Amino acid sequence: MRASNNSRKLEAQEAAGWSEQEAEELFRQYKKTNDPELRERLVDLHKNLVRYLAGKFANRGEPIEDLIQVGMIGLINAIDRFDPDRGIKFSTYATPTIVGEIRRYFRDKAWSLKVPRRLQELNQAASKASEELTQKLGRPPTIKEIADRLGATEEETVEAMELGSAYEAVSLDSTLEQEDDSPLSLGEFVGGVDVSLENIETYGDVKRAIERLDPREKAIIYYRFFRNMSQTEVAKRLGISQMHVSRLQQRALKKLREILSE
Amino acid sequence: MANNEAPAQVELIIPCQPEYVGVARLALLGIASRMPFTYEQIEDLRLAVGELCTSSVEWAQKNKMHEARIVLRAEIFSDKLTVDILDTAGPRRCGESTSRDEEEENLAQLLITLLVDEVEVTPQPEGTLVRMVKYAGQQ
Repeated sequence: MRASNNSRKLEAQEAAGWSEQEAEELFRQYKKTNDPELRERLVDLHKNLVRYLAGKFANRGEPIEDLIQVGMIGLINAIDRFDPDRGIKFSTYATPTIVGEIRRYFRDKAWSLKVPRRLQELNQAASKASEELTQKLGRPPTIKEIADRLGATEEETVEAMELGSAYEAVSLDSTLEQEDDSPLSLGEFVGGVDVSLENIETYGDVKRAIERLDPREKAIIYYRFFRNMSQTEVAKRLGISQMHVSRLQQRALKKLREILSE
Repeated sequence: MANNEAPAQVELIIPCQPEYVGVARLALLGIASRMPFTYEQIEDLRLAVGELCTSSVEWAQKNKMHEARIVLRAEIFSDKLTVDILDTAGPRRCGESTSRDEEEENLAQLLITLLVDEVEVTPQPEGTLVRMVKYAGQQ
């Protein structure tokens, strides 16, 4: 078992044309030269680490591609800060940074509100499937039968049936308690759609142009203009100086203008 | 906090086999959702428990301990949850690896330390005990 596993791993490494020593050498060169091409290659070599870690968070209702994307930001940060002479393995060094970005992404998404909705939907689908199957089979279905019908695992199905109903939808007209005697309804707290943001997102051209930026520029555009973060906040997030963010942002915007006028 | 009150305890015994890992994860959902954890924290706990049980399962297979079991014991305090995972999967020898290679095993361990507040691993006569602690009400 072990031998076959190791040889599989070796094959994979050979296919990618690298070994750990090689990666170490690349890191040394990169530290010296800061050559973006070397960084690109280092990112490439460690993509699988990001995939592996993103996979662990895949069942939380966010597309895995998005998790890989934010994980990549963590990977790039780790590559920039890694010191190959400290005697610590890169994967060990990078894992907290990558996991940190992924978890932050969930927090930023106000995910705690979103998941119950996912569960609620699955819960409703489960009751519907249960009713239909009861009619068809002439007896109440098993969990496995419901799960198969939903294309979900048994664990997910039980989870949804157990918890989905605990999150009742709340009416927008329900009033919230207040100190003075003018009750506010929940609906008054619901924000409107930010039209400016929606416009940006519907401009396919802009989106495609952003796709062509390098990962760090992309991250800066994303944080600055889609998350409304200040340059200082972005700098902190990426572990670089505010001046650096400012320069990269200018460069990214210039690139975007060029791409869009092509 | 009122730590001197006796914690509520929940104990679950499952076969040390892959198809029961989900049962442990589900139990944790039931236990943790009774406490002031956010949804994200609960998912972190469940991921950690899933990884720990998978690790136990891997070692049971490696050591050919087909009768091995996992005892999961949760203690519910007002401000924290402790989870003990005790397996009878036999010894985990350093430098040896299961069907997951050593690198993956190490990453899984590292991941767990990122997800909960405290982790402590203690070898036992018949297997391994891992105790983890997660505090409620903090991010």
